[in-house]
Amino acid sequence: MRESIIRLEGATKRFPLPEGGTITALDAIDLDVARNEFLTLLGPSGCGKTTLLHVISGFVQLDQGKILIDGDDMGTTPPHKRPVNTVFQNYALFPHMSVGDNVGYSLDIAHVGKAERVKRVGEALDLVGLGGYAARMPRQLSGGQQQRVALARAIIARPKLLLLDEPLSALDRNLRQAMQIELKNLQAELGISFIFVTHDQEEALTMSNRVAVLNGGVIQQIDTPRNTYNYPANAFVASFVGASNLFDGEVRRDGDKIVITTPENDTVEAVLRDERSLNGGGKLTAMLRPEQFSLSGTGGADNCAEIDVTVDQIVFIGSTYELLGKTAGGRQINALLSASHQTRIGEIEQSGKARLSYDPAAVHLIPADDAGAAQ
Amino acid sequence: MSALTLRARQRLQLAGLLGPVTVFLGIFFLTPLVIMLIYSFLAPGLYGGVVWEFYPHNFGRILGFADPAFEYFDPVYFQIFLNSLRIALTTVVITLLVCYPAAFQIARLPERWKTFCLFLITLPFFASLIVRLFIWVLILKQTGFINQTLMSLGLISEPLDLIYTEGAILLGLVYIFIPFMFLPVYASVEKIDWTLVRASQDLGANGIQTFWRVILPLTLPGILGGSILVFIPSLGNFVVPAVLGGAKVLMLGNLIEQQFLAARNWPFGAALAMLVMAAVLVLLFLYVRFESKSGDDAPLLN
Amino acid sequence: MSWLRKLGDTSLTTYTVLFFAFIYLPIAIIVIYSFNSDPVNMMRWSGFTFDWYKQIFGFSNASSEAALYIESTEQLLAAIRNSLTVAAFTTTIATVIGTATALAIYRYNFFGKRFYRTLMFAPMLMPDIVLGIALLIFFVGVGMPLGIGSIIIGHCTFLISYVFIVVSARLAGMDRTLENASADLGANEWTTFRRVVLPQVMPGVIGGALLAFIISMDDLVITYFISGVGTQTLPLFIFGMLRRGIKPEVNAIAVMMLLFSFTVAALGLYFRSRRR
Repeated sequence: MRESIIRLEGATKRFPLPEGGTITALDAIDLDVARNEFLTLLGPSGCGKTTLLHVISGFVQLDQGKILIDGDDMGTTPPHKRPVNTVFQNYALFPHMSVGDNVGYSLDIAHVGKAERVKRVGEALDLVGLGGYAARMPRQLSGGQQQRVALARAIIARPKLLLLDEPLSALDRNLRQAMQIELKNLQAELGISFIFVTHDQEEALTMSNRVAVLNGGVIQQIDTPRNTYNYPANAFVASFVGASNLFDGEVRRDGDKIVITTPENDTVEAVLRDERSLNGGGKLTAMLRPEQFSLSGTGGADNCAEIDVTVDQIVFIGSTYELLGKTAGGRQINALLSASHQTRIGEIEQSGKARLSYDPAAVHLIPADDAGAAQ
Repeated sequence: MSALTLRARQRLQLAGLLGPVTVFLGIFFLTPLVIMLIYSFLAPGLYGGVVWEFYPHNFGRILGFADPAFEYFDPVYFQIFLNSLRIALTTVVITLLVCYPAAFQIARLPERWKTFCLFLITLPFFASLIVRLFIWVLILKQTGFINQTLMSLGLISEPLDLIYTEGAILLGLVYIFIPFMFLPVYASVEKIDWTLVRASQDLGANGIQTFWRVILPLTLPGILGGSILVFIPSLGNFVVPAVLGGAKVLMLGNLIEQQFLAARNWPFGAALAMLVMAAVLVLLFLYVRFESKSGDDAPLLN
Repeated sequence: MSWLRKLGDTSLTTYTVLFFAFIYLPIAIIVIYSFNSDPVNMMRWSGFTFDWYKQIFGFSNASSEAALYIESTEQLLAAIRNSLTVAAFTTTIATVIGTATALAIYRYNFFGKRFYRTLMFAPMLMPDIVLGIALLIFFVGVGMPLGIGSIIIGHCTFLISYVFIVVSARLAGMDRTLENASADLGANEWTTFRRVVLPQVMPGVIGGALLAFIISMDDLVITYFISGVGTQTLPLFIFGMLRRGIKPEVNAIAVMMLLFSFTVAALGLYFRSRRR
């Protein structure tokens, strides 16, 4: 039995708009985070992820629903009494305090004795690789170092849950990747549950045990990174997490395969695994990831399906070529092609036409009603 | 055009721009200050004027080594000095307490209201100082607004002694110097990064702890800047005590005025003025040290 | 929790209303009572009248003959004339010198720049009584007669600083690459200054001049020490009346002065907000 550290039940929050009316930031959210889990909240800006974070930390009160932290109903418990700490987006380090005072702040508030405090501050700083920085002022540190101080400050009191509000967004790419790995390791070492907010899908897939994709105040899908990527629950998740080619249309059976025909008369073949997904009145959306395409005649499975495209542009991106084109019906196609077929790619660039093949068994099918609603 | 003539031309331009200010402030600002410093060490003439000899007893009369040829040391001058210090400090504290909560409220308002409130606070600064003090005379005097109102309401039968008290002086000083305190304090309140306040609460501090440990230190530069701007003109003020204090409460400013226009003991007056200036310089020195230590922009100098 | 916050909000709002009441209620009271007809006790309401306003403009009428308290309209007019003369000269001199200094410090690097910066702040931070008596000693010492001339010089010593600071603030907010762009487009130094720098600095110069004018019109302490016996400015005139005892006419004069400075300040602030 998984032990739940935080549980939201039907959490709903509306904000009044200045011009009147309200906006629903959280719409009956149910969420359950296990002890020692790394959960990522992923979504575009304005999707409600920051509100959700504020609800958990206590800065925003719910209109409806419940929030339980380690079994205790938080109700109207103010932020300073919740066993939750936050790493803020802009770090929010107190500029008038030294690094050591920043990190030791919560211990000082809790009247932990000086000797004990100094010892634990040292440990926390060692943990984030900043041993010996206690006497510095925050403004003397680089962005990455400030980030680590914020982290040390948030974990020193051993909260039951750590909230991270897009903490890596201000760092440059290399540092961000290094910090992703460090955060993951730190989480494993501390055994604290992390809720990590980001709008960067790559970050979400790299770090988490589970990813919750949020849009319009609703959790669209909550699953492991792999499942979220390979089997998106709806068209929104499919297009937000990774690049995708979507074909929505009528479904027709053809032996053990099915064929989806879009309104523009493009066809995509797929293998039907689940009869229930046909319940939506014979309509489905087929999803193909760009890397699922290959050039016809360059190997691959025997039972490949094919699609003809006119090529708009081929972009060299190192290990692969990205092909941007259109189907006969005019639908945009995005395909990643192996760089090992240099000569073929040259031909395609000349002719402006290409035949792409894909494995029908790998095509993921999304029920049509969801796809229509989220698009 | 060679580089040399370009440089020469620049020098000429610089001299043209800086020349007037150098001459003007050199003659009419720095020279008078030096002369005043010299005067403060000269002996007073018997019927006004000065005697050109070194005479440290002007300061001695205040600080405890009076000229034995004329008088015993009388602590009255030092008491006036302390009294002025106390009144100036009290003014600083009251203006701060008055302005601080208002700054928070106004900083929270929507942009349009904010601009309007700031306009309302700045406006009195441009109004005549003597008129603003005159208003309080009319309100506080024996037959003034407050006494008339209270008597017609039957709350008092005898007029209260409101004017010509230390309280009246404090009221006048506070009324005049509110904008001086408000604007720097407001500038630092508006600059507060409220995520820091949230971070503090998130880390377990309640409202009061957050105020003392985060909000107050963050607004300290504004508080200190405003305090200096209020303290300096309060310490040597002579208009407010003259108008609202009558002859009853004497501040350094009135004492200096007396030395120049009534007693005609200019060296002693100059010494008193040097004392005021010394107090101000010490304060400014401390402020600049704080500012360079904190590394923040000092709102006073911006 | 939420009712507590509401209570806090309400009391803070109430407090702020009181704060503004403290600033403006006295002003409202004096405006109202400047129309009070009681000639003996200005603060005991006995009827509405325009008499005091008529008197300060020299139209004394029959009903208030008993209350001809004002020394003479001539004295008041002379004081106003003096104040305007001083303010006009001071504003011109202080604006020219202050702007030149600000430009020098903005455009050039030179030895002693720090000294000049400090020098420009010093007169502002100097307690005015110290500056006043220092100037008095100086003028008497060099034998310069006290009067309009000495007052103008005295005002300039500290108003140069005010202009300098306002213009410097404007210059600091200026985009220096614009000058480079102008030079790049073929303009020589003088053209660049005239067509690019000057138009941008102008609001600062006007603002500084306006400030200098208002402060010069209002200065009391320094003027008090260096005006000599024969010359009175408007603030000195009122100060004198306050010391001798208040007459109802002062009320009307005070209201007129408030109206004047509020109008000038409001116009200045309005134009500044428009220009942004």
